[in-house]
Amino acid sequence: MKFIFRIVGILLFAFMIFNCSDNRCNEEVDVLLKAEIIVNDPILTNAGFLETLSIYSPAWTDSVHYSSANFMLELSPFADTTVFVFTSQAWKDTVKIFYERDLVYLSQECGFVTYYKIDSTRYTSTIDSLVWVNKKLTTLTDGHVKIYF
Amino acid sequence: MDMLRYIFSILLFFVFSFQLMAQKTDEKKKDGWEITGIKIGMDVGRFSNFLFKPEQTSYAGSLDVGFNNKYFIIAEAGYSEINLDRDNYNYISDGTFYKIGLDYNMLKKYPTDFLGAGFRFAYSTLEHSANNIRFESEHWGSYYTEKESETNQTMWLEASFGLKGEIFKNVYFGWSAIIKVRFYGGTDDKFQPYDIPGFGKAANSISIGANYFIYYQIPFNRK
Repeated sequence: MKFIFRIVGILLFAFMIFNCSDNRCNEEVDVLLKAEIIVNDPILTNAGFLETLSIYSPAWTDSVHYSSANFMLELSPFADTTVFVFTSQAWKDTVKIFYERDLVYLSQECGFVTYYKIDSTRYTSTIDSLVWVNKKLTTLTDGHVKIYF
Repeated sequence: MDMLRYIFSILLFFVFSFQLMAQKTDEKKKDGWEITGIKIGMDVGRFSNFLFKPEQTSYAGSLDVGFNNKYFIIAEAGYSEINLDRDNYNYISDGTFYKIGLDYNMLKKYPTDFLGAGFRFAYSTLEHSANNIRFESEHWGSYYTEKESETNQTMWLEASFGLKGEIFKNVYFGWSAIIKVRFYGGTDDKFQPYDIPGFGKAANSISIGANYFIYYQIPFNRK
């Protein structure tokens, strides 16, 4: 009988040890696009283009003012296209980004995130060029685009 | 925490090993191959899920046929169901696993008990999906989506070392330490299974664990 009690006791202890787990999400879950703005046009530079730059998407209810040339953007997780509008004083430009989305199960604790792979980009006239440094956006690697004005 | 588990498993192994060593029995040497026992087993370790892992329901059973109480052909099968209801998603999975292999008894003097090693070939298949996946963004607002059902198949090999002792007439308790090495499937970059039935956490290609079984030996050819 003692033997059985010992088995039961040891089993219960083992069950407790085997089943303890931490339910907190300790991983990075943000999937971001790093945008870098380079202003080469002297007219824009003299007019203080960068200092008064605001960015928004038509789908947003707000806009963001960035005082620095580097900032992070979030692509829409609901659509395969995101439009960003860059405004500064009288200038208004649009960047339209086309991409593929992947729904990824990161972990039990963190749940799902959306990864992006950039397909193509369209932009309007004040923007001189747009260069993709990294077209894949994951939790481990930010996307990276350089926008030249 | 993993280290504690391994230390505990090793300690448990020695505790039961000494129990078996302490028994005195007499066995007559047998000539030729003779079926010395057929055991039907149930994995009782899985019942801890009711208390500690309520999202998972799993059952497993085994059948082993012993020859001269030295060699055993083992077949195991099990079922696992997961319903993980989190704040930002609901994960659903159900699957089965099958194992076949051999055990070798290193005890020479004891007619019914077992202390030895074995190996298994294992196969598992599962279907999993997710719904009510919620995304929240400062700019984009809230959004719900779902992940359609996907099938995942896994194969792995197991090596085990353990024991079985008769606690009542024809009723055995067995414990074994197992190392599992996955060699096929089980991974998916986009939709990694939460748990592979019979294997454990899908994120690891090597899994170390322990089994606790209760067996009933069919009174057949028993001396």
